[in-house]
Amino acid sequence: MKTRTLTVPNRLGIHARPAALIVRKASEFRSEVFISNGVDEINAKSIMGVMTLAAAGGSRITISTDGPDEETALDGVCAVIESGFGEEMLP
Amino acid sequence: MRLKGIAASPGIAIGPAFLLKVRDFKVARRTLSSPEEADGEIGRLRDAVDQLDADLEKLSNDIGHVVEGRQIMEFLRLLLRDPMIHRDVEERISQNLESAEYAVSTVLQEVVSKFLELDDPYIRERVADVRDIGRRLLEKLLGTEKDFLARSEVPMILVTEDLDPTDTASIDTSQVLAIITDLGGSTSHTAIIARSMGIPAVVALGNITSSVGPRDIVVVDGIHGQVTVNPTDTELLFATEIREKYIEAERRMAENTGSPTVTADGVKIELSANIEFPQEVALVKKYGGFGVGLFRTEFLRLLNRGTETEEDHFRVYDGVAASLAPDPVIIRTYDMGGDKFRKGMAEEANPFLGYRGVRICLDNPEEFSIQLRAIMRASRHGNVKMMFPMITHVEQLRRIREILTNIRQELYREGIPFDGGMPVGFMVETPAAVVALDLLLPYADFVSIGTNDLTQYTLAVDRGSPLVADLYDPFHPAVLRQIDRVVRYTHSQGKWVGVCGIMAGDPLAVPLLLGMGVDELSVASSLIPDVKKMISVFTTTSAAEIAADAMKMETGRDIRAMVFSQVVGRYPEILLDESLGVRK
Repeated sequence: MKTRTLTVPNRLGIHARPAALIVRKASEFRSEVFISNGVDEINAKSIMGVMTLAAAGGSRITISTDGPDEETALDGVCAVIESGFGEEMLP
Repeated sequence: MRLKGIAASPGIAIGPAFLLKVRDFKVARRTLSSPEEADGEIGRLRDAVDQLDADLEKLSNDIGHVVEGRQIMEFLRLLLRDPMIHRDVEERISQNLESAEYAVSTVLQEVVSKFLELDDPYIRERVADVRDIGRRLLEKLLGTEKDFLARSEVPMILVTEDLDPTDTASIDTSQVLAIITDLGGSTSHTAIIARSMGIPAVVALGNITSSVGPRDIVVVDGIHGQVTVNPTDTELLFATEIREKYIEAERRMAENTGSPTVTADGVKIELSANIEFPQEVALVKKYGGFGVGLFRTEFLRLLNRGTETEEDHFRVYDGVAASLAPDPVIIRTYDMGGDKFRKGMAEEANPFLGYRGVRICLDNPEEFSIQLRAIMRASRHGNVKMMFPMITHVEQLRRIREILTNIRQELYREGIPFDGGMPVGFMVETPAAVVALDLLLPYADFVSIGTNDLTQYTLAVDRGSPLVADLYDPFHPAVLRQIDRVVRYTHSQGKWVGVCGIMAGDPLAVPLLLGMGVDELSVASSLIPDVKKMISVFTTTSAAEIAADAMKMETGRDIRAMVFSQVVGRYPEILLDESLGVRK
């Protein structure tokens, strides 16, 4: 299992469209992918899960992956989040 | 599972269920019987998801040029494929043995409430998407997609909350075996339409729409008001036998339709048909009706939405009159409002006490004249009578007389043929018309008693409300006394009386109406052979005695029991289909 903690970089946080981008990326891998906000941990392949997490811009989230391709999965999902989803970034 | 409702149209039907529409994605709980059934249910769910996903993919490609549209579709597809939702739904199915529909709706409702709790407005907005996906998925599971009927290969049993009068326009009778509904009463529009089309119907079943799944096999017994969902082999066999017997009985009845309707002592009674559409003239002839005692004309408005011309009216009336001649046809002018065709009209707290029937027509005299002129022109066949609904005030009849006089003069000037002596009558369907009949009758040649409305206005019972439906009783002494009074007064003036409500076709009411001296009975075509047989077993004297006895009794129940005891000796067949008349 691999984990990494990062900050949601865009102003609006993980709303519907970013959630969709995360889910699509996470679903590319065979490993399980989870996101935690410190309170709840959800399945990153579930649009419901990612949306109900409702991570605001600037909040800290932890990504964890577990499975045969956990390394690339972690890098892939983190890259999507760090990109800011092509939206306006926080200062 | 067996459910009891109100028998609204006789006949037996067996077939797969078709649910007309789902209003929300809430469905009632249905429990599965075994883990094996649960496996099947999960398979059904996965199939529905695959189908819907394919639909969405196609939709997404179709609107591919709109970037946002594509994003929305992709979002919907992610929702549809969400592993959390699937895990929850499939767990509910396999562990709680819930139906796929129920599990989907419950899980999605939980998701919706979770979304609504979130602070993020962007996410809260997505609630609509969850609802959309939920509804689409349920439609797939329930098989309720629109125009499904048109595509179905086998005829179905239509299951719906209540049949909207405008829905009826889209019903293809060759595709509908029977109609069963949550709401309604034996005189609701659903019932009237079903009877006029010869389709079995059971109404007021409570929540049949949530007790039946799509393609469930349903047995509809429109004689006893019973519906069996997913019958056992024994039940199915039994229903098939009953259905064959019923069809055979119908066939035998239809055989002696050529003979006139006479009482046991040889008095001729006019037994005619109520029709809703011109095509039904064929049924009237098939069942041996003496013309048409009530031709409802509202379908013309339904089809043309107010753009109907004099020629539209004329073609229909002239065709019906020509094919029935020399037998009579009584054409009733528009009876909009009440429970019929309320669309586009202002909301009223009490539509039955509101803008309906002749009240609307007299407010629009030019439009009204179009219909009256067309009826007048059709009278050239010499067998047409004209009748007005909802007459309560003498002024209404005076205005109608003025309009008719003008039309006669116009037609005369234009050299268009018409029957100058065409009889004009009105419906007696309110206590006002009964009590003030001596004031109204001078303006008419005949009256026809509409027992459905007369009963509901007399007893102050909304016939569509299941809460008070048991108080609705045309055998109530207050109703029978009014009918008796109308018959006696009308006869004293040398005029004739018809009865065109449901009552005229009720085997137990027939001897009473006969005994009171009603001249004409008008019933749904399919009931004609039955009623004819009933009439033939009574002499006018014996019927008069039964009616006189009824006038002394205190309750509708007593009256029914008394008539039943009189009928059963003369007409033992009534025991077989006792529920036709002995509704409590």
